[in-house]
Amino acid sequence: MQDVAHEVVKFIDLNYANILYLFAVGFVGGLVSGFIGSGGAFVLTPGMMSLGVPGLVAVASNMCHKFPKALVGALKRAKYGQVDVKLGIIFGIFAEAGVFYGATVQENIKKAFGDAGSNLYVSVAFVVILAVVGSFVLRDAIKTYRSGKTDEEEKTSKIARWVQSINIPGTMVYFRSLKAKVSVLFIIPLAFATGMSAATIAVGGFIGVPSLIYVLGAPGLMGSATELVIAFVMGLGGSFKYALHGLVDFRLTAIILAGSLFGIQLGAMGTTYVKPFMIKFVMGAIMVIVLFSRALMIPIYLAQLGLIHPMSETTVKAFKSSSFAIMAFALLLGAFIILRAMWQGRRAERQATIHEALEKGNI
Amino acid sequence: MAADRIKSKKPVVKMVLFGVCSAIVYGAVLSYQGLITAYFTRGALYAALPIAGAFTLSYVHGHFTGYFWSVLGIEAKKSAVVRQSPEAERTDRIERPQPRPRLRAQL
Repeated sequence: MQDVAHEVVKFIDLNYANILYLFAVGFVGGLVSGFIGSGGAFVLTPGMMSLGVPGLVAVASNMCHKFPKALVGALKRAKYGQVDVKLGIIFGIFAEAGVFYGATVQENIKKAFGDAGSNLYVSVAFVVILAVVGSFVLRDAIKTYRSGKTDEEEKTSKIARWVQSINIPGTMVYFRSLKAKVSVLFIIPLAFATGMSAATIAVGGFIGVPSLIYVLGAPGLMGSATELVIAFVMGLGGSFKYALHGLVDFRLTAIILAGSLFGIQLGAMGTTYVKPFMIKFVMGAIMVIVLFSRALMIPIYLAQLGLIHPMSETTVKAFKSSSFAIMAFALLLGAFIILRAMWQGRRAERQATIHEALEKGNI
Repeated sequence: MAADRIKSKKPVVKMVLFGVCSAIVYGAVLSYQGLITAYFTRGALYAALPIAGAFTLSYVHGHFTGYFWSVLGIEAKKSAVVRQSPEAERTDRIERPQPRPRLRAQL
């Protein structure tokens, strides 16, 4: 494997334009990750590949930037009391198993059906996961907004109440974020699916965060913050696996990290200014938009596999460009919503402080 | 101005210190690209190098970025930064019964 890896690896030359591009993409990715717990990776990997970085090196370098970024984000959000470390570590360990299994499935599909088959599998997984989970999360956020109960404490879902009511002796663990004991047997499949999602579509959080919120019963803020611990555990194991085969281009990792550490701090601080439903709204909106981006790629892979009529080179190029543009738009929209909400929250806080000081006669 | 009065001391020195360290690390990574790539991609035991490097960057650059936003005045909502004691949060802990004080007096 190592020899094969070395044959595949071609490290790109870095110029100022490349460095600035990676820094900017890293910043926006970090901002979104700090806020919703995940999400930057799906633009970073194709972003690196667009510079000519081989796919495997892009995935490995992205993974290696993910765990230190998640660590910084988790530490920041722990200061606000949003992180459940115990849940994150237990979830992360089982998610790691999902990552390794997911990577094996990917390799087997690639061997059997080639690159087009593998890409088709990834795109279909993207569309199915994002359609089911994304629409559910977005609908829930809109429902909360329309109900006018945005300031109230989030209600635990029916499924979560049922999960928390089941007592399986010897497997029950108390979790701070859930304020309840939950059987580890419920966590295992959720974590495994999160890991598989991370290995397949590069974003485990699209399964992880909704699982924590809707199935286990964590509040939105705590769910997204705990996902950062999970991302750290998964990212550390995954990076080591790729590093063993010499696939991590540390220069790329370092540059993306330079931008994403600025972003993740800002995103984490942003969570303290917004109402909890905003986390769900941003996550749902990004998921639904990205869904269209990946759906555009499916006809290309179907044509490559000979399952539909071949497409002209111009059409393929147009589809690919549109797909990347939609993906970048999703991330930028998420960043805009976060920054806007943060700006409004800061302004409201400042006005409240001044008002309070005036009332007390301090001025 | 009220806003000026409530401003807390900004960590400018810490930001500069970590900023310089971060610049040195990044300068080294970009100046010795060839050497770093050669060693960091050898695989096997050398796999520890990118992992250690990522941890180092997260510590140095992570501190710098944190102080950077603080110096710019961008911080979390004040009411959100609450250090909760884990002990106070535990709801599953059963209080151990305290022994009742008894008087043992010899008459």
